[in-house]
Amino acid sequence: MASLVLSPAEQDFIIRGIEKGFRGDGRGNLDRREVTLRTGMISQASGSARCRIGNLGVGTDVLVGVKAEVNAWTPGEPEALGSVVCNVECSPSAAQEFEGRGAEEINVELTQLLDRVISRGSQGAGGLDLSALCIIPKQAYWVLHVDALVLDVRGSIADALVMAARAALMDTRLPRVVVETITDDSGTAQAEFDVVDDAEDLVALKGVSGLPVAVTFNQVGKRYVVDASEQEEAVTQAKLTVAVSPALEICAIQKGGIFRGFQPSLMSEILQTAQRIAKEELTRFVALYEEAAKHKEQQSDGPSTGSTFLVAF
Amino acid sequence: MTSNIYDRRRVNGPARSVEPVYIDAIEPIAFPDGLRNDGRSLDQLRPIYIKTGPLAAQQTFSSTAPSGSAYYEQGKIRVSCAVYGPRQGRKSNPRIGSFDCDFQYAPFSCSWKKRSHIRGADEKETAQILEQAIAPAIRLEAYPKACIDAYVTVIESDGKFATISAAINCISAALADAGIELYDTVASCSMSSDSSRWVADCSQPEEDASSCSLLVAYMPSVDEITYLLQNGKSTLDQTEQAVQACTNSCTRVYAVISRYLQSSMEQPGT
Repeated sequence: MASLVLSPAEQDFIIRGIEKGFRGDGRGNLDRREVTLRTGMISQASGSARCRIGNLGVGTDVLVGVKAEVNAWTPGEPEALGSVVCNVECSPSAAQEFEGRGAEEINVELTQLLDRVISRGSQGAGGLDLSALCIIPKQAYWVLHVDALVLDVRGSIADALVMAARAALMDTRLPRVVVETITDDSGTAQAEFDVVDDAEDLVALKGVSGLPVAVTFNQVGKRYVVDASEQEEAVTQAKLTVAVSPALEICAIQKGGIFRGFQPSLMSEILQTAQRIAKEELTRFVALYEEAAKHKEQQSDGPSTGSTFLVAF
Repeated sequence: MTSNIYDRRRVNGPARSVEPVYIDAIEPIAFPDGLRNDGRSLDQLRPIYIKTGPLAAQQTFSSTAPSGSAYYEQGKIRVSCAVYGPRQGRKSNPRIGSFDCDFQYAPFSCSWKKRSHIRGADEKETAQILEQAIAPAIRLEAYPKACIDAYVTVIESDGKFATISAAINCISAALADAGIELYDTVASCSMSSDSSRWVADCSQPEEDASSCSLLVAYMPSVDEITYLLQNGKSTLDQTEQAVQACTNSCTRVYAVISRYLQSSMEQPGT
């Protein structure tokens, strides 16, 4: 993560404040910052979303674009499933250390986290329905390329990333596919598909409302905080990212940080709290997504040079 | 799936190859009610063997030999680790040392797909997992400006999460062999679930049939979980139970590692 250099006095100030339940911006340990969400701003993508977590118009900014394409099936792949391929990149404009190969480690970590949360973590009932992405079994399927770009870092990248990815997948519209079975002269039935080339005839993804939300817990001193700011992340010794689905199942857990571990007793407390916070976040997400959809409607009539994506303050 | 990289320096095998199918192979039941295919019960781990110091210098002093090394076997999993350091690091931090890990699957290690000798994203992420699991155990403040490097090679893999926990155990043994100051030995264990029951230490077919996998790395003496990874869905109660059970298994693995480290010190000439 972008590492600030903090003096020992500043570090001590943050740690002691959190022990008493006070954070630098006045929040409690479990309070989260404002979230601004906008969808559908990339016209060339099948779906897109931009999410900013932060107060006063400045915060961690993640832009996610989803591009769908048809892949031919090769032996060894699952026979009747589509697939999702994730890629996360931290832009050098977010922090100086992301320049060149500096962001390589964090890119790998975030890519695997997003992949775990979206593909593996939402399998089964209630998750993203990959079998609906199959066009013809053993022949062709949709592959969704989820590409995320981290534009600004002010702490808590994982939460913003998963939220933006969720919104982008909910915004994704695939062209409708018509499948025909043609019997040729020798009597064998061949299935063929045709992608309808109509910009209005689009289909939403199935099961996106079952995608999880991520909550990251940062251990600072003896207490933990949710939605850490940059300064708090600089004094974090260990963090735990928990992804929870709308059915309140735990979809993925990943620990980060190299300085310390967690006590096992703290673990169950964190998991309980994660469930509670995720429920609140999911409710908030629904409201945010509706507002983003309304904003998209209004923007489509306005000038195409969208001046600002997000709310200016 | 097929590799399009044509390597002129090596004899390239056929572009695509498949594992031979044996006619009378019985499809194993992945999550049985009684014993598993290899005769283990549901919470029984595979037998562990550790040899420390296989890569030690034969002469009195060799500058290129690793400080410590270990060879680890758990069932069919075979992992080898070499630890170099403390030595001069690239990023020299005056307050605290750094721990770096390099993880690689040997090309012949996984079931039937030849792995490229170039590090994939999978291997890079596993290297980060290993760093995050092991670094809390090392007294890095005792090695300022220095760097401790661990190089892990998986010779044979059998279950992705089980292989990662084998790698963690192997690095722990190698660090102890290198004489690096540690708070405790990190022991690790993995479990998988098919949403009805949790099974410890799963092989590849069992993991493929599971819906959720869990990996825990634990330091028993300081009672700290240094790494926790869950891949797949499960309810809160199931996860809590599994973390508890996995932590207990880690304590058993810890006892095994300690026993091997002790016996390696008792051997003459080691």
